[in-house]
Amino acid sequence: MMTHDYALQVDNLAVEFDTYGGVVQAVRDVSFKLRKGKTLAIVGESGCGKSVTVQSLMGLIPMPPGRITRGSARLGNDELIGIAPAALNAIRGKRIGMIFQDPMSALNPTMTIGRQIAETLVVHRGLSASAARAEVIELLRLTQISQPEKRLDQYPFEFSGGMLQRAMIALSIACKPEVLIADEPTTALDVTIQAQILLLLQELQSSHGLSIILITHDLGVVARMAHDVAVMYAGQVVESGLVDDIFYRSAHPYTLGLRAAMPSNDPRKRQLQIIPGSPPDLFAPPPGCGFADRCAQAMRVCRDTPPPAYGHTHQARCWLQDPLAPASPVTSLMVNNKAD
Amino acid sequence: MLLYILKRLGIGIFTIWFIATATFTVMHLVPGDPLANDKAVNPTIRANLERQYGLDRPVFEQYVLYMGNMLKGDFGISFTEENRAVNDIIREHFPVSASLGVLSLFFATIGGVLWGALAALYRNRWPDAAIMLVVILGISVPSFVFAAFSQLGILTLNQWTGRSILPVAGWDSFSSALVPALVLGMSTMAYMTRLMRSSMLEVANTDYIRTARAKGLSALRIFFRHQLRNAILPVITVLGPAIAIITTGGFVVESVFAIPGLGRYFVQAVAQLDYTVIMGTTVFFGAFLVLMVIAVDILYGFIDPRIRLGAL
Repeated sequence: MMTHDYALQVDNLAVEFDTYGGVVQAVRDVSFKLRKGKTLAIVGESGCGKSVTVQSLMGLIPMPPGRITRGSARLGNDELIGIAPAALNAIRGKRIGMIFQDPMSALNPTMTIGRQIAETLVVHRGLSASAARAEVIELLRLTQISQPEKRLDQYPFEFSGGMLQRAMIALSIACKPEVLIADEPTTALDVTIQAQILLLLQELQSSHGLSIILITHDLGVVARMAHDVAVMYAGQVVESGLVDDIFYRSAHPYTLGLRAAMPSNDPRKRQLQIIPGSPPDLFAPPPGCGFADRCAQAMRVCRDTPPPAYGHTHQARCWLQDPLAPASPVTSLMVNNKAD
Repeated sequence: MLLYILKRLGIGIFTIWFIATATFTVMHLVPGDPLANDKAVNPTIRANLERQYGLDRPVFEQYVLYMGNMLKGDFGISFTEENRAVNDIIREHFPVSASLGVLSLFFATIGGVLWGALAALYRNRWPDAAIMLVVILGISVPSFVFAAFSQLGILTLNQWTGRSILPVAGWDSFSSALVPALVLGMSTMAYMTRLMRSSMLEVANTDYIRTARAKGLSALRIFFRHQLRNAILPVITVLGPAIAIITTGGFVVESVFAIPGLGRYFVQAVAQLDYTVIMGTTVFFGAFLVLMVIAVDILYGFIDPRIRLGAL
């Protein structure tokens, strides 16, 4: 595929944080590609670096103590990492929109919803106050907020959580961005509202041609929304590929573990399967694979040497993919690649 | 909101009654009386006063009489200044104290918000350290020390330039109010600076500031449109007590700078046990403070829509 088929391409990104306990390597060599008009889900447990990854692209991590030590991110043909604040401000909110986990706290409590949305239109598109107001009403209607003429003069505390997330979506798509980053957009909402918000995102994707990065730890949301998936563990992408590759041809033991940990309706499976152990200490990441200590198939090489990424469109960082590795429960990428 | 204001007013009236009663009690517990003063009081005034205020009657009767007069808005006549009504003293000298107070509150608030915001902006760098050093001085050094040093400063400045740039003391022009107001507002300004700094830092870490950054707003716009208004809320809360500190602190500054404010009369009256002036000024200051605190509560509602619209 050619470069221009991608809305966003991230290569070898590394982010560190200085803390009193030492340097935390929160993101270690992360690469992914977001296809135009598609949804890429970044999945992983808490603390795996998925939020830090996208926030560092947007320049939203506090620096210091944070810093991007390596890597690049290209939006179309424009580099995002290391550019001047003014240049970044011209991209944020205009070409990349972002929505956050907790809509209750993500909006300014002392400013009306309408003015907060209008602000992006005024700043990025130079609209007058009245033109912006008319546009805000349209945006609120688009995100299915009833009585938008009345609602836009209300303050965030007068909205419910679901309504606030709709307003947040209206805000993030106000300037018709190429990319929408949704950082756990439904985690703080109850299940019925969650379904409505996801549906709204899908509708906006098809009507606006949005490319979406969806960050979540909910595999149900992934199955429903994603075209592509990147599974993150301990600051790295351990497996990436099409959504069906991840769910039906898992090539990394961690992905298999995540799938096994999903609740199911099967009455024979009374108890949830858990992955034993906990993620490695990112102050001093292990020399080999970060998952080796929790992996039932771990070999000696896993503890000593970090695994390379095997495969092409479906990739996994796991020594089990090596031609010399013994048979294991993970799908072998070599077989798949021959079939490609 | 209306109910809330009415409730506050009711509590305010009770507070003023309590202040009046407590002052009355304490005042009469102090040995001596205003007429037993070395300042000669001629027998006619003494007779007049004793008849009007019943100083010869039991204390409780005096109390009832006094409260009755106060309800009618009559604070009585000064014991030590011949035929001068307390109402006249307040009318004549309160505007001086009030304008000094307002000016110093203005300095304190604007200065506190500005310095606090600046310190937060330069967190952990040298401007922050410099501001916080001055803040510690401002909080710990009493106002009469500042007053003396500022007078020395003005004097040196005037001598050095050979002209009278600022008056050292007195009350005749706007420029003579500047330095006393600054001295008077110093501790409040220092306190507000600290408060504003921590409040700014707290707001800077909120989700909605992150949202504002994700919207691509410039740092300046985020500062003025999003950070300042939210950070100012806790500073507004201390405005009420700040007014109290400034009006009570005014007594000291007024006497150092020879300003004919109400505070000076209050201090004099206490020294001379001038019953009516003590009562009048205390109740008046009390009522003023209560009113200011209520005004601040209402102002708070205007800045925070959650309070105005009754969500909290």
